[in-house]
Amino acid sequence: MPKHIVRLLALIAIIATIALFAKSFFRADSFYQYGHYRGNAVAEIASKIPKLQGSASCQSCHKEVYEQWTTGIHRKATKDNQIQGVVYKYGPGCEVCHTGPAGNHPAKTPMPLSIEDKITTITHLNPQLHVANIPGRKLLLSPDDMRGVCLNCHEKMVGRPDEQKQIDLDTHSGKELCVKCHNPHSPKINFAAMQTVNNGDAEAGKKLATTICASCHGAEGKSITPAFPNLAGQHADFMVDSINAFKAGARKSDMMSGIAATLSDADARNVAAYFSRANCTVTGGDKAKAELGKAKAANCAACHGAKGLRGNGAPGISGGPMWPNLAGQNAEYLANALKMFQDGTRNHAVMTTLAKALTAEDIDQLAAYFASVSCK
Amino acid sequence: MGIFANATPYVGYVYPNETDVAWSQLIVIYPYITGLVAGAFVVSSLHHVFNIQRFATISRFALLTALCFMIFAPTPLLFHLGQPTRAFNAVITPHWTSAMAAFGYVAGFYLCLLILEIWFAFRADIVAMSKVRTGIMGKIYKALTLGSDDVSAASLALDHKIARILAMIGIPSACGLHGYVGFVFGSLKTREWWSSDLMPVIFLLSAVGSGVGLVIVLYVLVSKYRKEPISDDTMRGLLYVMFTGIAVVMVIEGLELLEMVYKAREGVETVMALIAGPIWVGMYIQWGLSFFALFVTSALLLFDVHGKRLVTWLFISGLSMMLGVLAMRWNVVIGGQELSKTMKGLLTFYPEMFGRESMLTVLIIFTCPFVVLWLATQLLPPWNTAAEHE
Amino acid sequence: MKPLISEETVTTLKTKAEPALTRRNFLGLLGKGVAMAGAVIGAGRAVSSESVGVHEVVGAKRAFQQNDEQYAESVRNPPKIPNYNWNDRQWAMGVDTDRCIGCLRCMEACKMENSVQMDANHYRTWVERYVYLEGSNNAIVDSQTDPKNIENVGGSETKFRFDNRYKNVKVDKAFFVPKLCNQCEHPSCVQVCPTGATFKAKDGPVLIDTTYCIGCQYCVQACPYGARSFNEARGTAEKCNWCYHRITKGLNPACVEVCPTGTRIFGDRSDPQSPVSLFIRNNHVQVLKPEMGNAPNVFYKGTDKEVV
Repeated sequence: MPKHIVRLLALIAIIATIALFAKSFFRADSFYQYGHYRGNAVAEIASKIPKLQGSASCQSCHKEVYEQWTTGIHRKATKDNQIQGVVYKYGPGCEVCHTGPAGNHPAKTPMPLSIEDKITTITHLNPQLHVANIPGRKLLLSPDDMRGVCLNCHEKMVGRPDEQKQIDLDTHSGKELCVKCHNPHSPKINFAAMQTVNNGDAEAGKKLATTICASCHGAEGKSITPAFPNLAGQHADFMVDSINAFKAGARKSDMMSGIAATLSDADARNVAAYFSRANCTVTGGDKAKAELGKAKAANCAACHGAKGLRGNGAPGISGGPMWPNLAGQNAEYLANALKMFQDGTRNHAVMTTLAKALTAEDIDQLAAYFASVSCK
Repeated sequence: MGIFANATPYVGYVYPNETDVAWSQLIVIYPYITGLVAGAFVVSSLHHVFNIQRFATISRFALLTALCFMIFAPTPLLFHLGQPTRAFNAVITPHWTSAMAAFGYVAGFYLCLLILEIWFAFRADIVAMSKVRTGIMGKIYKALTLGSDDVSAASLALDHKIARILAMIGIPSACGLHGYVGFVFGSLKTREWWSSDLMPVIFLLSAVGSGVGLVIVLYVLVSKYRKEPISDDTMRGLLYVMFTGIAVVMVIEGLELLEMVYKAREGVETVMALIAGPIWVGMYIQWGLSFFALFVTSALLLFDVHGKRLVTWLFISGLSMMLGVLAMRWNVVIGGQELSKTMKGLLTFYPEMFGRESMLTVLIIFTCPFVVLWLATQLLPPWNTAAEHE
Repeated sequence: MKPLISEETVTTLKTKAEPALTRRNFLGLLGKGVAMAGAVIGAGRAVSSESVGVHEVVGAKRAFQQNDEQYAESVRNPPKIPNYNWNDRQWAMGVDTDRCIGCLRCMEACKMENSVQMDANHYRTWVERYVYLEGSNNAIVDSQTDPKNIENVGGSETKFRFDNRYKNVKVDKAFFVPKLCNQCEHPSCVQVCPTGATFKAKDGPVLIDTTYCIGCQYCVQACPYGARSFNEARGTAEKCNWCYHRITKGLNPACVEVCPTGTRIFGDRSDPQSPVSLFIRNNHVQVLKPEMGNAPNVFYKGTDKEVV
């Protein structure tokens, strides 16, 4: 065989040997142990530290809200806590709403980097800290977030199953924040509990009522002229809210702004307690108009009536103590109030939008309707 | 639009993860470059294996061309990898059920084969040079001789025989290398546009077409540069190969398209929308230039054209074949990804212009083989002794 | 009445169906064999007897592409994970699409838990919305990636929320479908991985060894479900692994943990009383794209013809 062929074969043999040696030298230790992969990789992947800690981990520090949550409706996903016949899964826990995983909250140090996070490439030499690993992440929600957080699950949307509680924003609350009425940790509204919030002294209130209020609203809460509202039987919470609004200037009235300023918080509660217990009367309205107004009152019913949101009131009797009863109220006063919402002299997130959609005729008829329904 | 800063716009519904197109323009030129290798190698083998004399003039040049392009075939892949430093993992622990694992071995084997064949084809020249040249070049030639200056008639005959055997192994290897690239795409059941049994054949045949085109273009340009006459015989030979390549690949590509449309599986409307939508320019370039090259070569054959006119028109059709095949690679690689796996949506891929994985990278990578080829022809001049070598 | 095939018969069948030189065994021998041959055999897997019928059993079983020796090793000497033995588990997931409300809490939790890129192009899990407008026979599909959904939350890609675009149109039917990696029995991604950086663990999940992945993205192309993406920062592939670091510690995957409606049901198939076993047994379940032959391990209840 010629010399060059021999040399060539020798060269090939040397290169091949080096290649084979390199192939086994560079092979990872546990490769082929369980299959065509690094056997050690399995335990490495499993060693990553979980970031979601589960609701139970919040309990030790946040006892109060944890208690509210466990006793509330958000604890349950389904009626009987069962899915497929297994007691398996409960409703939204803390980390569902509180911006993802707790991580190592409340510690001030970042989560340790996992194997994946430590990986660098030629173009990315520094391992990046993922947003979830950054300490002091905001777990508490701002009021603005809260609305979005609730709507994530509860906005009325096609595709959501009927069992899911969904709300239609336009009719439910307008621009009002959910937390105005609902406690997010236990969102079902307990009306009985809310009624007791106003613990004014009716006897003390009577004194004030007969001296200060009676000249317009009547000593018994029946107003002397239809331009002023009847107060008898009105929700105490609403009246306190109103007095506070006049005080703060959020609601304006030539008479009331001045009078409200003279009332202390206790006075307001006492007066409200007194009038809320007084017997109401129906002022009545134009029958023909009332008949037409009845057909248009569907939109009001969510807050101000039966089969609305709360389902526990008669027409014109509001579902929550923070909303006024309308039943039997003076038609003129009601019409004026709606017109004030329309022209912006009075403001309310829901009412302003709703009122603007009404014509003068609508207002007339609705006022007549509510003035004529029973207030009992 | 903000969110499309690094993603791809789409219509219909695509899986969210698809909005980042995984295989970019670098994967377009990777099969293109390997295709050029296969084509150039086939031309050189026509002389080395079948002893067709009209290719003798360019057989060694074609061989060098094949090598220079082969050296750069893996570079687009390296630039594309997320972790290029780990590239050898695929060679150290190749997972044989993956078509891609074979690449290191198939390409490596083929590269060795090319080097060996070139060494045998040029050995007499290398020995002669080692005696003439001095200095660094002299040492390089000396090293290339492996310390043997045996150029006796007997050993040259043996060289010739070995070169022929290598070329004979090389033909199936080149076909295998390129058929394998087709397999990488054709074996993916996920993508309707790729999942075709004809894919390896189409890739292989279009590779031959584009490779012959490259040899024609380079031969004409280099001859003009060297102010040497262009062999009419060689050009006629290249014309035959070229015509056969174009005609067959067009028929098979047409058949593939026809089958897809005729079978009309779920989502065929989306396939049609793909052809009429994101890749319509590519389709026009691919088919337009293919038809053009087919007409020109047919005319050249039909009217028995020779001389200067043959050179001009064959050069043009070779160039259009190269561009047509490049467009075809784009249509396959990018088009396949522009057709969503959902078969309910289409994406539009806009290539990056500057950066690691950009058109600029493509341009640089594609320029390299030509530069290296120029260097290689300086080291191993393929022309002067071609006639006497036989 | 006596069942046609008793438990015993099945066991016998099982043993008989495993000849001395099984396909996987053969594949192991081929370890240093010819490249193409391996690929061809891998591709021919779908028709082998193991993928149909008798081998579809629960309990300790071989992983994809595991030969006899490696199987024995995995039983004898399982990976060292504290208080966990992968031979005891066969993980599976159920998705009850009738319950999904499209709140996308799963997406957020997943991205946080697994440090996934916080943009609209990389997800380990996502939710699709299918809407049939009145009289239409085809669904309109979108996911959070849809520009309108991003716009709806002020252009932020990290506020996961569907917009309410169908509020004022008539809709025949609509539903949400959560998607994630199906952890297939015959994963295409594992088949095409050139290095062995992704693999099927013996207890079910398909894992990615991010320290070994070269980032070629062939697996991204091969996945029929679009479950894989490419993490540019890490230069490696990215996909759901059912939170392997959680399930091996006795926790639920992050998405299951935060799902407020119980849409996602996770458990051990080798335990006949586990939630997922009950879910699969008590419902008519379906897998996605069965024609691909991947044999997914995520079981859907209430999907639809249009679901892709």
